[in-house]
Amino acid sequence: MSIPELLIKDGFITERDREKIDDLSARSSLSFIKIALNFGYISRKNYERSLSNAGYVFSEIREMPSDPQVLSKIELKFADQHVAIPLRIENNRVITLMANPDDKLFIDFIRFTYDREPEIIVASDLDIVWLSHKLLGDKYVKSAVYELLNRDPANSAFITFSSGQLVFLFALFGLIVIGLMINFKTTSITINVLVSFFFLVAILFKLFLALVGSRFELHQAVTRDDLKELVEDDLPIYTILLPVYKEDKLIKKLIWNLQALDYPREKLDIKLLIEEEDDKTLNAVRNLDFPAIFEVVVVPFHMPQTKPKACNYGLHFARGKYLTIYDAEDIPDTDQLRKVVAMFGKLPSNFICVQSALNYFNRNENFLTRMFTLEYSYWFDYMLPGLDTLDIPIPLGGTSNHFKLENLVELGAWDPFNVTEDADLGVRAYQKGYKIAVVNSTTYEEANNEPINWVRQRSRWIKGYMQTYLVHMRNPLSLLRRLGWKGFLGFNFFIGATPLTFLIYPFLLAIFISYLVFDLSTIRTLFPDWVLFVSIFNLMVGNILMIYINMMAVFKRRFYELILYSIANPVYWLLHSIAAFKGLYQLIVKPFYWEKTEHGLSKVTNPTNVVK
Amino acid sequence: MRDNQTKYLLLITFLLVAYYLVCGIYLSRLGYFSQEGLFYIEKTKIVLDGLGNRLKVMGLTAPILPFYMSFIFSAISDTLAPLIASAVSTAILFYIMARTLSSRFKDPFYLLILLIVFALHPGILYAACSGKSIGLVLIFFFMFFFNLLKFYRSNTTFHVSIASISLVVLIFCDYKFIWLTLFFIPLVLSITIQSLNLGEQESIFRLFLSFNNPSLRRKLINKTFALYIILFILPLSCIVCYKLLNLTHAEDLNYFSESPYATWNVLADKLSFDQLSTSHGYQLPETSVLISVRILIFCPMMLVAIYLFRESTYQVLTLLAPFAFVEFLHIKYEKVFLSQEYYLIFLVLSLLCILYKAQTIRNQPALKLVVGLVAILQLYTGYLFLHDSTVGEERTFITMLLNRTPITEQDENHQLANYINHLPADTHILVDDANAYPVVAYTDNVHKLTLPYQSVFLSAIEAPDKYDDYILLASDKNQTTGYTQLNNKYLPVIKNTNSGLRFHRVYETNDWILYKIF
Repeated sequence: MSIPELLIKDGFITERDREKIDDLSARSSLSFIKIALNFGYISRKNYERSLSNAGYVFSEIREMPSDPQVLSKIELKFADQHVAIPLRIENNRVITLMANPDDKLFIDFIRFTYDREPEIIVASDLDIVWLSHKLLGDKYVKSAVYELLNRDPANSAFITFSSGQLVFLFALFGLIVIGLMINFKTTSITINVLVSFFFLVAILFKLFLALVGSRFELHQAVTRDDLKELVEDDLPIYTILLPVYKEDKLIKKLIWNLQALDYPREKLDIKLLIEEEDDKTLNAVRNLDFPAIFEVVVVPFHMPQTKPKACNYGLHFARGKYLTIYDAEDIPDTDQLRKVVAMFGKLPSNFICVQSALNYFNRNENFLTRMFTLEYSYWFDYMLPGLDTLDIPIPLGGTSNHFKLENLVELGAWDPFNVTEDADLGVRAYQKGYKIAVVNSTTYEEANNEPINWVRQRSRWIKGYMQTYLVHMRNPLSLLRRLGWKGFLGFNFFIGATPLTFLIYPFLLAIFISYLVFDLSTIRTLFPDWVLFVSIFNLMVGNILMIYINMMAVFKRRFYELILYSIANPVYWLLHSIAAFKGLYQLIVKPFYWEKTEHGLSKVTNPTNVVK
Repeated sequence: MRDNQTKYLLLITFLLVAYYLVCGIYLSRLGYFSQEGLFYIEKTKIVLDGLGNRLKVMGLTAPILPFYMSFIFSAISDTLAPLIASAVSTAILFYIMARTLSSRFKDPFYLLILLIVFALHPGILYAACSGKSIGLVLIFFFMFFFNLLKFYRSNTTFHVSIASISLVVLIFCDYKFIWLTLFFIPLVLSITIQSLNLGEQESIFRLFLSFNNPSLRRKLINKTFALYIILFILPLSCIVCYKLLNLTHAEDLNYFSESPYATWNVLADKLSFDQLSTSHGYQLPETSVLISVRILIFCPMMLVAIYLFRESTYQVLTLLAPFAFVEFLHIKYEKVFLSQEYYLIFLVLSLLCILYKAQTIRNQPALKLVVGLVAILQLYTGYLFLHDSTVGEERTFITMLLNRTPITEQDENHQLANYINHLPADTHILVDDANAYPVVAYTDNVHKLTLPYQSVFLSAIEAPDKYDDYILLASDKNQTTGYTQLNNKYLPVIKNTNSGLRFHRVYETNDWILYKIF
């Protein structure tokens, strides 16, 4: 009795399921077992139970020896599609690991390739996937790490500071020191004036962006009618990458969230990217009691161990026309994929990415989550649409950015050395003349509810912004030429100014408080009347406006209960400053280090992804 | 098509600016200068050329935004800056209204009416050609109500926040508009009830439903509170910050609104009332109920406006809020007569309502007829109100505009300033610009003057001979003599303190006496 028949007999799948699996298998070149276990037909536990009852024995295979000669004759993608791999030749037989021992095609492949009969060892599909990626994934992981560096070194963050930038920074530092030594007062005032004007322009720019963004708050990029016009059969294959690292607690939740997506199951190509040494997550997948609807891809160990490297690796196995990334805890709006398909259909061909708004489902958990929600609401509901309207490069959000896969590959995908690879990719896309749009759909994430964890996450983001700024400002004139003046200014005030403002903020606040509390007359010598006027204006108007923009954003989201928390923003910005200094330190000592954010700390579990 | 329209509107706007400037410059040649304009000219001179605590003048001169607007145009001409600012502001108001109008109507009739109002209405001409901040106030008053009405329709954060920002600017153009917020407090609740997604249409039943359902009640309270915050937190926090700045830099929270050194209208308002209440032809000040009636006589178009919004109670209440505001102003500032500005806001509001709602009326010919007739009638009522105004400046303006007869009101100040200008460059003159700002405004070199913004001013009053060569005193005939320390009572007092001091009268006008100190 064949394995499919066995499964039907045991009642784990129906005849209709089998037809569907065979049909999909014929269309996609995926094997029966790959589809059965990864498209929600049968759980791994039931599969093992069924085979064990039929007399098959599942072996532990991860420590088994292998022969490179044997491995060199098989391609990883083929092994992956059939969840099988030949390991070595023993007693004139090919020791072959298989999740489905009656996969005729693979058995024939072994016979033809090695001219020997296979000796089949049945093993868990996850172990086979793990082993095959570990043994055969080397060229893919090298490509994931070095592709951009080899193809477009100017846009890789492999080198943090270029020689020119170092010369500039040290020359600037030297000039300031010399200036301070020759004429302390004039130099201080000059620095003061520059900082004041920088702040003023940055704040006004953000207000302007927010107003431009808020102007279109009623605009529906994709309407219900657009969605109705989509033809089910014409929907393309959609790849979803789910890079995870030690997210064992979130796997069940992840499946619930993915199951809620309104998209034909057989047209989803969901890839859970697990690091080679991450047994926790792998075991969590193994222990699931119900069918999984994603495929596991194991990313072989290679430095740097970053999310973009994992995504680049996963990209090699992606089958979709479009591709998106979600984090394990993400709860996208159920119709998000359909909206993106509709939107791509409406947009000109040079739009290669669509960003969804991000927000938080655990916003009312504590002070930090409230502040985070305020910030995200303002960022994704006002700033990004503002940038979009003004045609300024959009720093993509960490997840829920939907790409046209072929254009993503053409761009060189994500930079594995950049810890905010998303923001960097947005700028690179604009440089090549591509555009990014913003869609009216939200993905709800888990807001960081723990201060240390928050600082860790934020320090990575700010470090990434610094990296991105340094990468693209290696040749400012060329950037100006490629982005145009609007894009160039936008890039400087958005990507460049963000870390800088957080670094300067505590100093300015300290000076102001000293001036108020101690009435230091010496400070007055560094602040001539008009400079003091601009500084006070910045402090007052800047703070008020930034607070107000946050209020506007939550008002738009109808999170009325959060509106007063906006007032606490100056305190929240101090946390940003701490993270900024940590990011700066790491930029110098370990630029590629990925500060892992702990997910699953939230006690809030209510999914809120119902489309309103 | 749209580009062409914009070009035409811009052209008309530029022509309006030119027209206002010609009228304004002509009037200034005849000797017409508003107190407000002169005040801005004087403060601009201090900020640009003064020696001393200019930060205080720069930051605490009020109303601050009209002052900055005038300050910007001082690059073109010191003395014409306020006039240019008022002409440009009024023309910008026209442009904004015309743009809004042209995006809603293809028919040029309403644009013609708007143009007639902006070209011929005496009140608008007063706003544009007097060097006052009325134009700026009207722009942001218009923006506030326009965005509020848009919010009613769209329920978007954008419009309510723009309304709030407009309110902030409006308050910094005229602080009295802070009281407008008072009348929006009950209104906000009504707006929220209206914005709730309920099947019931009648406001009272919506309120009943919202209060009797726990979920709706919570939503109502949250939303009302959020709307208060989003609408009023910006103006209120800006005012708090501004008051704190006043406290830290002038030791007085209300310095900007109560000190004659910070704002022109403290003295102007007092004088205007004193002058009127002591004159022979004593006029009854406006009585409360009559103010609203007077407004309706000044601007009968408000009746048309209310008619257009008759179907929505809370929108009508919105239109009535400025009436309550003006009535309140009259009670709050009982010794101040309502100036033209507070009438003109109704003219702008009524025009706004027409350009916002007129297209909903089916019988357009009848509406056009009514609007046309009322607009023409308003030209006359506008003239009457200026002609019979309780504020002297307004009466003078319309009289000069129509009769084109020169006035000598500022001649003496000018001549005195000329005398000071001809004194040697190292001369120092003690001047109190609380009331002498018109003289300072005409002076070429403020370095010669010792003024209150300088830290030496108080010492100079105590020992004028040590700091100054001359002292400018207000004469007995000067109406503002009671509002300065440097008046005729100063001489005996200082001579008592220092009997060796000798003062020689070197120049004298009706209002001022310049003494040389020996």
